[in-house]
Amino acid sequence: MEKFKVKFKPSGKIAEVKKGADLLAAAVSCGLFINSSCGGEGVCGRCKVVIKKGKFRTEPTGRISHEERKKGYVLACLTTVEDNLEVFVPRESRLDLTKVKDEEARLHRLKGMYSEAVDIDKGKPIISEEIFTHSPISTKIYLELPPPTLDDSVSDYERLVRKIKEKYDIPMMQTGLRNLRRLGSVLRHSDWKVTVTLGKRNETTEVVIIEPGDSSGENYGVAFDIGTTTVSGQLINLNTKEILGTKATYNKQIIFGDDVITRIVFAKEESGLERLHHAVIDNMNSIIRALTTEYSVPLNQVTGVICAGNTTMIHLLLRVDPTHIRREPYVSTANFVPVIRASEAGIKVHPRGLLACIPGVSTYVGGDIIAGTVACGINNEDKLTLLIDVGTNGEIVLGNKEWMACCSASAGPAFEGSGVSCGMRAIKGAVERVEINSKFEPKVKVKGDEKAMGICGSGYIDLISCMFKRDIVKRDGKINRDLKTKRIRQKDGEYEYVIVFKKDACCDYDIVIKESDIENIKRSKGAIYSAAAILVKKFDLKFSDLDRIYIAGGFGTFLDIDSAISIGLLPDLDRSKFKFVGNSSLIGSREILLSYDTMKKAEEIARKMTYIELSKDPSYMDEYVSSLFFPHTDLEKFPSVKK
Amino acid sequence: MDLMKECWTGKINTVTLGATEKEGGTRTSQITVGGETALPFLFKEGDIPHAPVIAMEVLDAEPTDWPEVLKKPFGDALKDPVKWAVKCVEEYKARLICVKLIGTHPDFGNKSAADAAKLVKDILQAVKVPLIILGSGDDEKDNTVLAKASEAAKGEKCLIGDATEKNYKTLAASCLADGHNIIGESPIDINIAKQVNILISEMGFPLDRIVVNPTIGALGYGLEYAYSIMERARNAALLGDKMLSMPFICFVGQEAWRAKEAKATSSEHPEWGDESERGPLWEAQTAVAVLQTGGDILVMRHPKAVEEVRKYIDSLMKKG
Repeated sequence: MEKFKVKFKPSGKIAEVKKGADLLAAAVSCGLFINSSCGGEGVCGRCKVVIKKGKFRTEPTGRISHEERKKGYVLACLTTVEDNLEVFVPRESRLDLTKVKDEEARLHRLKGMYSEAVDIDKGKPIISEEIFTHSPISTKIYLELPPPTLDDSVSDYERLVRKIKEKYDIPMMQTGLRNLRRLGSVLRHSDWKVTVTLGKRNETTEVVIIEPGDSSGENYGVAFDIGTTTVSGQLINLNTKEILGTKATYNKQIIFGDDVITRIVFAKEESGLERLHHAVIDNMNSIIRALTTEYSVPLNQVTGVICAGNTTMIHLLLRVDPTHIRREPYVSTANFVPVIRASEAGIKVHPRGLLACIPGVSTYVGGDIIAGTVACGINNEDKLTLLIDVGTNGEIVLGNKEWMACCSASAGPAFEGSGVSCGMRAIKGAVERVEINSKFEPKVKVKGDEKAMGICGSGYIDLISCMFKRDIVKRDGKINRDLKTKRIRQKDGEYEYVIVFKKDACCDYDIVIKESDIENIKRSKGAIYSAAAILVKKFDLKFSDLDRIYIAGGFGTFLDIDSAISIGLLPDLDRSKFKFVGNSSLIGSREILLSYDTMKKAEEIARKMTYIELSKDPSYMDEYVSSLFFPHTDLEKFPSVKK
Repeated sequence: MDLMKECWTGKINTVTLGATEKEGGTRTSQITVGGETALPFLFKEGDIPHAPVIAMEVLDAEPTDWPEVLKKPFGDALKDPVKWAVKCVEEYKARLICVKLIGTHPDFGNKSAADAAKLVKDILQAVKVPLIILGSGDDEKDNTVLAKASEAAKGEKCLIGDATEKNYKTLAASCLADGHNIIGESPIDINIAKQVNILISEMGFPLDRIVVNPTIGALGYGLEYAYSIMERARNAALLGDKMLSMPFICFVGQEAWRAKEAKATSSEHPEWGDESERGPLWEAQTAVAVLQTGGDILVMRHPKAVEEVRKYIDSLMKKG
């Protein structure tokens, strides 16, 4: 096979690739990162490059304008190498991680390059906790064993098991060789008084750790929600069920791609899988470190970790090759992951501590949504419930205790504050509520009552809803050019609305919303609404048949349901049917950490749930385009939303 | 035995083009389209009060990409848009003229807005049928050209287009101020068609002055797709969707004469037969399909195709 050299300017990096390789892959192979949100499908148009020299083959695309085509612009993902090439990568296409200027610094900080684990809302239980029996994944018990005598000469290990079985009804037990090797001396040195950590590994109970003396009062676990955009973790006292602290960071994998598909593609690159794996393990370890330091918990007292995440995130976390997830027929390596030792995955807790991943339904509906379903108790209810998890991958569950179905929609990270110009997570300094008066002046409520730094998801929803009501934004998402206010202006050829001027903000730029931000959010809300509409229609139901609608997502403590309806994110129904539950995935992860019985329920739900593949539904695209309007092309569907 | 009948609740809006002296204009005739309460030509299921009409297309610059067979019927008139319009009305009995200001496009002559306005005035002088006025498709230029053209034709109740999702405000404001009808264009997409109508109507534009250009493809070039989109829109309208209840305008001539099957000469493709028959037939065939799915105004080019389709419409309108 012929090989060609591709020189990328201005970096000067050279890739050597086979004839017919695409430029996006060529760039990655020499360590040059080009923007790509769609993962090389020719859809997002973010990988524009200019071919300066050499023969190539490219596919036509609507993402390149007539003028650009004349100048030699092509999409890197649709262009294949047929010759030695010289390629110019324009600034807007570069994902340059070394040059950090003001604007970029902000972007990168937001994207998690430098972000530290920060406090977020702990997430209130959604349903009565009595449903979840207290049976943590790892339990510590203090035992005083009778020393052996000539009359009672059973072996050390049997002696230990005998004592445990006196107290608990445990049919199957096992332990590791390491524990056996140490057992004899530990028991004798501790005067036969030891603390044993029992771990739940499916049907078997493992003697995980044997420590001298009584340390049964100190037993902690961490519940994680591994999102495509955000990683959140919660430190919990497994004895008292007390939540010590909750922190979140942006998922460091973002630098390798905004969405799961891009990351799966990246995993195929040389050491790509390792880099993705280390990125998320770094995130988890830094959250664990921050939490344990702040609450003075020794790392070796953390004995159990539970993760909820979509299927791809779990694969990457375990460093399992995710390639087959995106190839037909879309099969993952494991949806039900056995309980393993956390240290095997690189998680720094007690070296023998356990890691359990919440099972997923399918390749595209992971344990995060199962965790959410458990947290909302849909599996216990007669009432017909819809759960909408607004995340990068928007997931929707419909059903009750009799049946359940789910689907997932690629919504993008806008509601998590990524991919929008002044977006941030729902943490201190985020604009979370907005009102706009008739003079087009906004009044904002900032989380933590500090000066504003950016806008979080619920802030954007409120903001667009208000802008729409005040006619600052038109139904198609364009900013009204005719209004007389200094807050509407044109900058770099794009219209924007200023929410907080620099002088009143805690940053050195004006906090604005641009037309492209509105466009992004319009697409996100459209993807989620249309997915919900199709799912409900699939079962011959109407939105009005629903008894209850739970809204989940990393919005922090607050989401204005009215605003969410008026932008068309949620269906226009009686407001009392809605309940905002926060990060349901994290809450579910916590419930499962504290109740291994619930893990069994989660498995049952994962087996029972029917997955509906939206891409196979011919009406999805139509439904999607009709929802790319505020609130919707079919205004009759939103009777209560009036200007 | 009775036939099963579909009972529709909706009605297509009635749009009138052209203002007579009585209404403050100078036209001697008017064209009314729309008003249907049934699918095309199904007289037993509802009312079809107005027959579809054909508008003949006149360009403000001599066409460069027209084949001989299409140029021939117009001869020298192609060089003079006013003469061209007169010829269409007097010789080919056009009841509606569509002036396309293609020559104002920056890449095709870049004529000024003042030129365009003058031409519109001249044509209004020379012919007394209602007028459709189209821009060149360059958003920025259209916003100045069509504003001037609209002003020049003030009070004549023309139909002016196209307003698109990205560029509708200036045109809608002009048409509103000067009393014209407007065309809302969408790229073979029922949702966007509806969105454009909502956007225009929210500027205070009356719904019964909007005509939808759903964009079509010629026979062999995506006609089925265009057909099904129009069919869906019409079904939705008859089911009561007010934001889709507009008559359709279809640019049949422009699309048909883009097809190589219409343009190629018989020396290039002997097996395809005589182009003087083939070209007009291609246009007429496209028109017939569009009529069957709800086309109300067809903008056409070749006089022979126009004549055939007119006969076809007449025969279909003889109820029963």
